[in-house]
Amino acid sequence: MSEQQAYEPKIVAFLCKWCSSAGSDLAGVSRIQYPANATPITVPCSGSVSPMYILSAFNKGADGVLVSGCHIGDCHYMEGNFLARRKIHLVKELLQFIGVEENRFRMSWVSAAEGAKYAEVVKEFVEDLRPLGPQEKLKAQRT
Amino acid sequence: MINIQDIRDTARDMLAKGEVRAVIGWRAGSRGMPAEPAVITAPEQADELVWDPTCYHNLALHLVEDRKFLAHARKTSGAPIAIVAKGCDARAVVVLMQENYFKREDVYIIGVSCEGSGVLAEWKLARHLNGAVPTAAAFAGDEFTFATAAGEKRVPARDVMADRCLECRSPFPKEHNVALGEDKTGRDLAAPFAALARFETRSEGERWEFWQRQFERCIRCFACRSVCPMCYCEECVVDSINIAVAPDTTAEEKANRIRWIERSATRSENITYHMTRAMHLAGRCVDCGECERVCPVNIPLRLLNNKMEREARERFGYEPGASIGGPSLVASFRDDDPGDFIR
Repeated sequence: MSEQQAYEPKIVAFLCKWCSSAGSDLAGVSRIQYPANATPITVPCSGSVSPMYILSAFNKGADGVLVSGCHIGDCHYMEGNFLARRKIHLVKELLQFIGVEENRFRMSWVSAAEGAKYAEVVKEFVEDLRPLGPQEKLKAQRT
Repeated sequence: MINIQDIRDTARDMLAKGEVRAVIGWRAGSRGMPAEPAVITAPEQADELVWDPTCYHNLALHLVEDRKFLAHARKTSGAPIAIVAKGCDARAVVVLMQENYFKREDVYIIGVSCEGSGVLAEWKLARHLNGAVPTAAAFAGDEFTFATAAGEKRVPARDVMADRCLECRSPFPKEHNVALGEDKTGRDLAAPFAALARFETRSEGERWEFWQRQFERCIRCFACRSVCPMCYCEECVVDSINIAVAPDTTAEEKANRIRWIERSATRSENITYHMTRAMHLAGRCVDCGECERVCPVNIPLRLLNNKMEREARERFGYEPGASIGGPSLVASFRDDDPGDFIR
């Protein structure tokens, strides 16, 4: 990135296949305008998001990481998002504990019908990330 | 106080009757004062066993090693193996059984209560001895007496006890076949998670400053992983060599294997390694404090694990090493788990 270019936060978004991924599709086909900063990665279930995915995303240069799944009670696998809620809570606490900014990591419930909400979540996330600047804390220093 | 002879008698009895094939315990160490882990297999060796506040090691690690040895040798265990276990050791054994690493009947737990005491922290002791090396120690009540080349030195027990022992909530091995010593659960030494609470008063920036300095020092010797009874995976995710190479594995497959973490000891990789370890130990770490003790560069690893432990306790009502039959922390949930952080 050259000096002149403005900083654009890079977001890695882990979206569950059944809800959030379809939700982001809906945002697209409904032609809702929202920032193009999020790189979606479809996962089978929010419960399948390993803490390693999140740490690895930060390690490889993500400025923010979003995990999104079905609303509680709507999981295709019945309890995957319950498990995700617990696991992701721990990841979030750990990241904050070592001093990573709270706003770098986010979780949301977005159903397949909530294209507008997905756009809103990404928009808010980008706005919150912008003042933080590039994420250097966990990013690999490769020379 | 526990009579050492009771431990020896129990071990001798069990071995003589053939009820166990070995006893894992501590014996007098070869480098002066500290005890060292010992595996004894004959009744006459029972008199080697000792029990004092230099028995730092979490012996559950040796149960894991035994299990791995048997698996590699393709042997069945036969008679159970006995382990002399402190409160934290016993909790570790419970977690291992909860994870079906071995069965309850494979292990005979000789529980020893830490009572009003715990184990020493050598770095705290070094401060009191001004660099003199203790050659022998006597432990009685609230005062420890150390013999050094410069003469005898008496130190209050609380000043040299390990933090983990000061903060310990269950110094009595609840899961046991036979228990020696008094149950002094609820003794009042230091508040649980005291060090963690002190650390958490720092701001986000200060916390990052602190951890950055700590993790920069890590040399990736993996001592923390080697000493941890919970780190029993045959292949570790951070090794980045975990690809089964067969004759038909292509160069591309080898080149494109997933490397979650690089092996180089740089700050970012070290952080990822330690964070991964903390996550993998969430709800499993029994706070035996061994990782912190063996760290050659003194990274306060207990803080990370304590954080996870307290989170599990306060938010999810989960206590590691509490029951063999219960579900594990991240494989279970409750309907009312906190979810207010989710948008």
